[in-house]
This record gives sequence, C-alpha cells and structure tokens, in this order.
Amino acid sequence: MALRIDAFALRKPAAILGLALVTIHLALALFSPWFAPYDPTALVGGRAEAPGEFLLGTDVLGRDYLSRLLYGGRMALMVTFTGVVAAVSVGSLLGIAAAYFGGLLDDIVMRICDIKLALPGILFISLFITGFGESLPVLIALIGLVYFPGVIRIVRAQAITQVGLGYVKAAQLRGEPPASIIAREILPNTLDVVYVEFAIRMSHAVLLLSTMSYLGLGLSPPTPDWGLMVAEGVGQLSFAPWLVLFPAVFISTLVVGLNFAAEALANALGMDAARGYVGGV
Amino acid sequence: MSVLKATNVNVSYRRPDGVLAPAVIDAAFELAPGGSLGLVGESGSGKSTLARALMGYCRPGGVITSGEILIEGRDIRQMAAAEMKQLRGGKVAFVPQNPLSSLTPHLRVGSQVAEAVRVQRGCGRQEARDVALSLFGLTNLPEPQAIYERYPHELSGGQRQRVVIAAALAGNPKLMILDEPTTALDKTTEIQVLELVRDLRKRLDTALIYVSHDLNVVSEMCDRVLVMLRGAVVEQGPTARVYRQPEQEYTRNLIAAVPRIDREPVGVMAPSSAPPLLTVENLGFHYPGRGGWFTRSVATRAALEGVSFAIAPGETLGLVGESGSGKSTAAAIVSGLLAPGTGTLRFAGQELAGTARARTQDQRRRIQIVFQDPLSSLNPRHRIEAILARPLALFRGISGAAARARSLELFEQLQLEPRLLDYYPRQLSGGQQQRVAIARAFAAEPDLVICDEVTSALDVSVQAQVLALLKQIQQRSGTACLFISHDLGVIRQVAGRVVVLRDGKVREAGNTQGVFRNPTDAYTRLLIDAASRGYGNLPDLAPT
Repeated sequence: MALRIDAFALRKPAAILGLALVTIHLALALFSPWFAPYDPTALVGGRAEAPGEFLLGTDVLGRDYLSRLLYGGRMALMVTFTGVVAAVSVGSLLGIAAAYFGGLLDDIVMRICDIKLALPGILFISLFITGFGESLPVLIALIGLVYFPGVIRIVRAQAITQVGLGYVKAAQLRGEPPASIIAREILPNTLDVVYVEFAIRMSHAVLLLSTMSYLGLGLSPPTPDWGLMVAEGVGQLSFAPWLVLFPAVFISTLVVGLNFAAEALANALGMDAARGYVGGV
Repeated sequence: MSVLKATNVNVSYRRPDGVLAPAVIDAAFELAPGGSLGLVGESGSGKSTLARALMGYCRPGGVITSGEILIEGRDIRQMAAAEMKQLRGGKVAFVPQNPLSSLTPHLRVGSQVAEAVRVQRGCGRQEARDVALSLFGLTNLPEPQAIYERYPHELSGGQRQRVVIAAALAGNPKLMILDEPTTALDKTTEIQVLELVRDLRKRLDTALIYVSHDLNVVSEMCDRVLVMLRGAVVEQGPTARVYRQPEQEYTRNLIAAVPRIDREPVGVMAPSSAPPLLTVENLGFHYPGRGGWFTRSVATRAALEGVSFAIAPGETLGLVGESGSGKSTAAAIVSGLLAPGTGTLRFAGQELAGTARARTQDQRRRIQIVFQDPLSSLNPRHRIEAILARPLALFRGISGAAARARSLELFEQLQLEPRLLDYYPRQLSGGQQQRVAIARAFAAEPDLVICDEVTSALDVSVQAQVLALLKQIQQRSGTACLFISHDLGVIRQVAGRVVVLRDGKVREAGNTQGVFRNPTDAYTRLLIDAASRGYGNLPDLAPT
C-alpha cells in the first residue's frame, strides 16, 4: 500500500516547526522519568518559589514545577493518544461499514452521530464524568466517545465515493466477503483521511483534556496535569505568574505543533486542509 | 484581412516543481472570415489548450510564452484587460464541452443569456430580454418563453448546449470556438446540435474553430483541418485533401482507426446454431424510487422491459443503444451486480441466480466483466501484479511464482510490457489500464466476458488497438462476449449479432451486417444514419 507523499509539503517552515514541536513534546513525555529532577508529587522546596534554585520554581505546595510539567505532558499525551486511537479506529470501521452496507446500518450509525452532535459538548462531558467518576479509563473512554462521530462522518464521506467504483464491483463479482472487500479495497483508499483525522483529533483532544482538568472535570490532584496546574496557579497570578505561564506554554506549543503537523500531513497526502474539518467538542 | 492569424504560438504549463512543460509548440495558422477550421488530435495533443489560447486564456498553471495571435489585426497579447473582456464573449465566443458547468445552477437560463446580451450590447433589461428570446428562437429551442423561465437542471443536455450557444451569440461574434461541444451528447442529439451550428454559421457569417476527437464530425463541419500531435501541428490543409491524402503516418492512422459501420469486419464469428451459453428471457427491471423515512418513494420508469436475447459459445453479441436505453442495466444484471426484477437467466443449461453472491463460485468464474472507466476499475493502492493475482488465486487456485508466470502470459497476449506488473494503476496510460482490466477478466478463464462501453473513455487510435487485442484473446480462448456500446461503428467491428435497445425495450435484433444494411425499425435507421454522417469526406483507409 503506497500512500503518495509529497515531500515538498513537508519542507515548509510551518511543517518543520510543527513536526519539531511534536517530536520534542513526545521525547519529553516519553523520557520524563529520566529528565525530571524530582518526584512530581514530592514536597521538595518552599511554597511557590520563583525559578532559580529549582529550574522552573515550585508550586503552591512546594513541589518541583519542572518535574510536574514533564510528567503532566506524559499523562496528557497518554490519555489523548489512547482515546483518539480508539475514536479513529472505531469511527473509521463504522464509517466504512455504513458507507459499504448502506441501508439500515447507515441510518443507525448516522443517527448516532446526529444525537452526539445535538448534545452540547460540555453537558455531555459533565454528565459522563458525574456518572462514572474521574478515573483514567473513564477519561480515555470519554475522549473516544467525544471524537468518534466526527471521524465516522469524514471517513464515511470518503468511503462512499468508492462503493460504486469498478474495483469494488469487481471484488463483489468475484464473490469476496464484505470483510475482505472493506479491508482490501476500501480501507487502503481511506488511509490518508484516517491519518489526518488522527492528527487533527489529537490536537483537539489535548486542548479538551486541559480544559476539563481546569474545570475540575478531568484528572484530580495530586496527579500532575497541565490544565490542573493552570487552575491551581490562577489564584497566585498576581505574585507568581509563572505558575500559569509555564503550563500554558506547554499546552499551546503542543497544540500548535499538532495543528501544524496535521496540516503538513494533509498537504503531503494531497488533501485540502481547508476542506472543513469541523472539530471541537 | 483574416479573422484570426496565429504565428508561432507557444503555450506551456508550469509543473509542480516549477519547470515549464510545453503544451503547444509553434502553432501557426490563419482563418478567413466565415471560414471553418477543425482542430483534431489525440487527448493530450494540445488542441484544447490551443483553442483557449486563441482567446488569451489558459487553464491554471498555463502561460502563453510567445507568439502572436491577431484577431482582426489586433494582437490579443498586447490588449488591455478591458479590451480583452470586451473581446471574449463579444467578437470571439466560446462553447465548452460540458454545458452544465458553464450555466449557473441557481439562475434561470433566460436571465443568464439576457445578462450576456446586456454586457455585450449595452442595452436595457427589456431589450435584453427580447434579444435573448430571439436568440432562443434562433437556436431552435422549443417554446422560448417557457425555456426562458427554466433552470439549467430542468433542461436536457441538447437544450442546455443550445442555451450556451445562444449566450455565445449575444455579442454577434465574428469567431466561434467550440471545444468538443457534442461529446457529452447522444449521437442523435449531436446531429441536431451540429445541424444548428452549421445553419447559424451560414446565417450569421461567423468563422468557426471546432475542437474534436471525432474526425467524422470535423469532416462534416470544417473546410480546413489542423492535426496536432504532442503540442505540434503536424499537418494542416483543406479537410477533404488531408483526409484523402494524409501526408503524415499519424494522420493516416487516426483516420484508419475510426470504427466504421460500412467496413467489413475482420475475424468476427458467424452466428452459430450451437445451443446458447446464456439465455436471457423476458428481463424486466425497475430502479427503486428514492424515499426517506418520512417521504413516500416514487416509482420510476422501467429501465428494462421484456428484454430477451441469447449468446452462443464463443460469439460476440452487440448491445447497442443511447444513454438511458437500459444497456448498462442489462450488463449489471447478467454480471450479477443487480438482481433482475422479472425474467430468467440461464447459463450453460442452468438457472442463474440474481446476484453474484448467490451464484456458485464456478458460475462467478465463468462470467467476467470489464468496465467503462479503466482507472476506477483498478484499485489505485494495489500494484498490477496484486490486481491480477486475486482472480488467479480465487478462481484458479494459483499463487506466487505460478501466478506471476500466468500474469506474464496474459500480458504477452495483450501486448503489455512485463515491467508494468510492478506499477500502480495511475502510472499506466488509459489504454494500458484497460488492457490490464481485460487481463484481470481473462485471468479467470471465463466463458463469457461482458464489455460495458470498454473503449468509450479511450482515444480512437487506442480504441482500435484495444479492440483488436480483445478480439484476439477472446478468439484464442473461445470466450463469448456481451459487448455493450453506444458506438455503432465499434459494434460493427466486433459483433456478429446485435440487439438494439431503446427505453428499456428491444427495438431490433439480428445479424449485425443485416441489421446495419437493412434496418426494419425506424429508430435503428436513425442511429445508423447518425453514425454514417461525415463518411463523404472520410475515406475508409485500411488499418496498418
């Protein structure tokens, strides 16, 4: 299976910046146990010390801020990655199946998407968290649930253009079972869309998770988390602004990096990024 | 003074890597007032690019790099933007291939033509309306008043093209450029539009440039013809002279490749009296109406009604008809894509189930199909080898080196280079793609191959080659063929017997030669007359 990749699109400044930011964040998150100077939950210094002795200072309880930021990224990426992978895999399969079989299955799948779209995002999230509690598996499931309808719509639209094409008809006439037609004939031709979906949903999900933690709907203390750290720091904004500034910088560099990388990927695969990825919650 | 004089016109397209690729090279010709010139050549020869350049226009990425284009003595490359705007749609009018894309879908066609009149003639609304109505009359649109109020989607293809021609006449053009204006139309509709263009030229004394891949049409419409090959003009002169005594081998091949209904076919099997391989009896089919959860579905007209035919082993049956005649529906039913509404199919003495999945593996193997569009019939993500390996594994149980060897054998029979096995479909030309699709069908070693308009997406010269190879491989393997086409010339060259369909019903059936010589049905006669027009100038050159 050869995806046509246009190397020119990957050499634009925005693409290079995006890929670099994502790589740095991934490396920091992956190797945070080695990079972090202290245990992120241990009380090691004075309250809200300014950067100096501790590289990025300490938080309101006296924990090392750099260590918390590094472990926070690890948590954010782990939760969003698992959730988005689930959303994109389930969404792609349902989208292709709906496109291929049509009829009742298509109706049911699309109505599920409609229900999700009709429900205000924040309401859905609060209800879900209130009902199931704030644990890691619940958060991952929530991210998956929030994003899979959007993936279904995009992948179904791409798959539906192929159902009437000669190579799909030829496979049907050979008597191939639907699973084999979907796997061999249709899926390879939707992979470019699937990859870009993944990249775009990732950037949304990172932002969503931070927002939820900030609002107290996400991870709970003492887990290190960027959104949570912003929330904790807001009260100290007048005398310790770095408590908000540092996590904000980490969140925005990761989100901007993911966005640029997604767009570069879309361009490299010959897709039009402006073709309307309506994201968000 | 000539209406148009082009000197050493060069047009190039900028490739993604920034290099300019020439599309038209040093084109030079002249057109007298009221004269007519045909631009012919294979696809990619630059004929459309040249036609557009004559109005100072290029498709995105294109640029006129040098040359002089004089319209009534004024070089359009020196014109200011305002003058150019006045020229296009004014002195020079353009009619494109697809009329639907040149009409705005949400505006009534009358107001669109009236707007063109107002812009070009600077007159008031009421006057523009009157002029537009008279233009509709001039282009033989029935009930101009009613047409004026219609939207583009409410008109037939032929009517749309008439509306576009009416808009082109808004500025009293001295020169009309028509780019394949009838390619999307049925043959019988095409004749009417051509008739109209010829009549208008006579009445309005307009010069004509006619771009077409169809040498018949050009011979009918144009006094002079210009033959293009890979951007260069290889030959030009009076149509009759060029067609009768082509100087270039390329031109000669183009003419010889035209499938003709008056040419004796080579190697077509005589109708046999053997028991039929496939019998189709009383076939009927309705496409289901479109209805949602809350809307009632509306029944549609029958796509097929009471259609019966039979195919003997090894013979080719031609199924002929215009768009909407039901010929592709018949192909879909025989192949097993659609279940028949009514009627029965019998294959090799056994009842044939409606859909492919309900048929036995052996029945599926014995009936294969080749589709119209070669590119979309091959999965773009698989190499050619993998595309051929699938039917070989499923139907013949061979894989690995044996499958590759068998693929190479098929490749040899279809004159494809072995290295193409490792390519992806998009890296192949249209003719190569279609030959791969044929190889895929024959890989199953079928008894019957359904060919659904297999050459209508190809150039004539490529079409001739593909048809010859198809005939060869079919005869070598003794495979029968249900050959579906709108082109009677093609049918004449491949099919021993023919069935003529119209509106889902059989109008006439029999021996191809007999039916084409002495049609008993009025509609068949109409089709045959339409197909043989332009033969006056077009000699029947033997293929080389």
